[in-house]
Amino acid sequence: MIEMGVLRAEWTKFSSIRATMVLSLVTVAVSGLFGWMFGNVSATEYAATSAQERLGFQPLDMGMRGVFIAQLLIAALGVLVASSEYGSGTIRASLAAVGGRGRLLAAKAGMTVLTALPVSVAAIWVMYAVSQVTLAAGGAPYLMPGDPAASRMLLLGPVVLTMLALFGLALGFLLRTTAAAVNAGTAFLLLPVLASASPAPVRDFIQNFWPNTTAFQALSGTSALPPVVAYGLFVGFVAVMMIGAFVRFDRQDT
Amino acid sequence: MIQLSGLTKRYGDRLVVDDLTFTVRPGLVTGFLGPNGAGKSTTMRMILGLDRPTAGQATIDGRHHHELPRPLRVIGSMLESQAVHPRRTAYKHLLYLAQTNDLPASRVHEVLDTVGLADVAGRPAGGFSLGMSQRLGLAAALLGDPPVLLLDEPVNGLDPEGVRWVRTLIRGLAAEGRTVLVSSHLMAEMALTADRLVVIGKGRLIAEGELGAFTETGAAVIVRTPGAAAFGRRLERAGARVRAGEGGELLVTGLSMPDVGRLACAESVPLEELSTRRGSLEEAFMELTGDAVEYGAAR
Repeated sequence: MIEMGVLRAEWTKFSSIRATMVLSLVTVAVSGLFGWMFGNVSATEYAATSAQERLGFQPLDMGMRGVFIAQLLIAALGVLVASSEYGSGTIRASLAAVGGRGRLLAAKAGMTVLTALPVSVAAIWVMYAVSQVTLAAGGAPYLMPGDPAASRMLLLGPVVLTMLALFGLALGFLLRTTAAAVNAGTAFLLLPVLASASPAPVRDFIQNFWPNTTAFQALSGTSALPPVVAYGLFVGFVAVMMIGAFVRFDRQDT
Repeated sequence: MIQLSGLTKRYGDRLVVDDLTFTVRPGLVTGFLGPNGAGKSTTMRMILGLDRPTAGQATIDGRHHHELPRPLRVIGSMLESQAVHPRRTAYKHLLYLAQTNDLPASRVHEVLDTVGLADVAGRPAGGFSLGMSQRLGLAAALLGDPPVLLLDEPVNGLDPEGVRWVRTLIRGLAAEGRTVLVSSHLMAEMALTADRLVVIGKGRLIAEGELGAFTETGAAVIVRTPGAAAFGRRLERAGARVRAGEGGELLVTGLSMPDVGRLACAESVPLEELSTRRGSLEEAFMELTGDAVEYGAAR
């Protein structure tokens, strides 16, 4: 379904622009930084709490709080794969060269996965390693990679982030400008954090059913929903966004 | 060969391309002429599958653009030459286009040599002059060695030497048997480049034919004589159409120069000038598109 030549062309485009390469590296660096920061803060908190409270300490959740920032950068990476072509006007040259619109969109989706997955793996693993080492150094409990919860985070975490890159790609196709797509994506992904100030029914709905929250809760094992439903909700949401992107791309003039 | 049948594009209640039907044949340069805003670029975008026609269709060698598995090998195009990512080098721009059609990197070097950009291939395209951008656009059009070429205003912004170079290139491509459609709003340029013309105004087909047929429309016999009014009436009785020129001379059509001369001799009319004038494409163009200019200057 994805043609090799068109995919190779996408890599040439991606790798010949500094913004996408820089963003990839920044995502990993920021993940490490937040791993260290939240590891440090959590270790300090741990040291100041009572023995009773220490029993409920969740080293993995505490250390991985930076994922809420990393998701924004990964989504922006997906946005750029589409919006950089609209911004510079090369979308017409690309489409005239590739022909069918589905072929171009499929190649861009493939490209997004192939770049976002290694970046996500690096981001999650670096954040995990740095946060747990920082916790251990601060005298707080930490989670070894062999622990089921840690394994789940290390294996499925990157997949969740990569899906968010596809969400960004869809927004790039739908909104066409980098600024609009990044802003919309950021607002959407951070809404669960802001929702704590809203009325209870709204807050409960958002904190239980918002697509990225369900996925993150399933990752950390705190979801009220069964894992299949939680992940399914998230994957279904991204799929709907991609279908919307294809319909718009296929019907509209470029 | 490019075939348009009933091609129509409507944006809201604005009709931009109105029921266009014509064929662009191989082996010739076809000039696509019309005032700014006549719908030339929209038509070209529809041929390339970038804009969806409201009605009708455009085919390239019998197929729609989206049906072509390797479009660059069938139709090369140059739309807006500035549509390159400013940070990307000319080489990488052409390389990614080549890769979409499984063309080898060696082909990129070939077209860079053809358009004379080999020395600056490693520079970001954002720093290119308009002329260099036009050359890069032409290089992209030539990548797949396509039998059909679609060039939107290719000489815009070029210096005289560049204009001559593009003209020679385009004529050479047609001489190799390719189908070449070149749009322009400059009739003088088309008079030197095109074999055939398709003229549109306000999205409608106004005229279509060989270049020669267009210039004939303005041809006339010029007569200058002291008794212009009387001789004019005599010429009309002989079956000619007579108009007064700006300098008091008579512009005579429908009668040959020798016939006018013999008539003057028989009537003993003293002649100060008797000559012929070839029509200019510019005049024919103005006559054809006079009421089709979208944003004409106030008179």
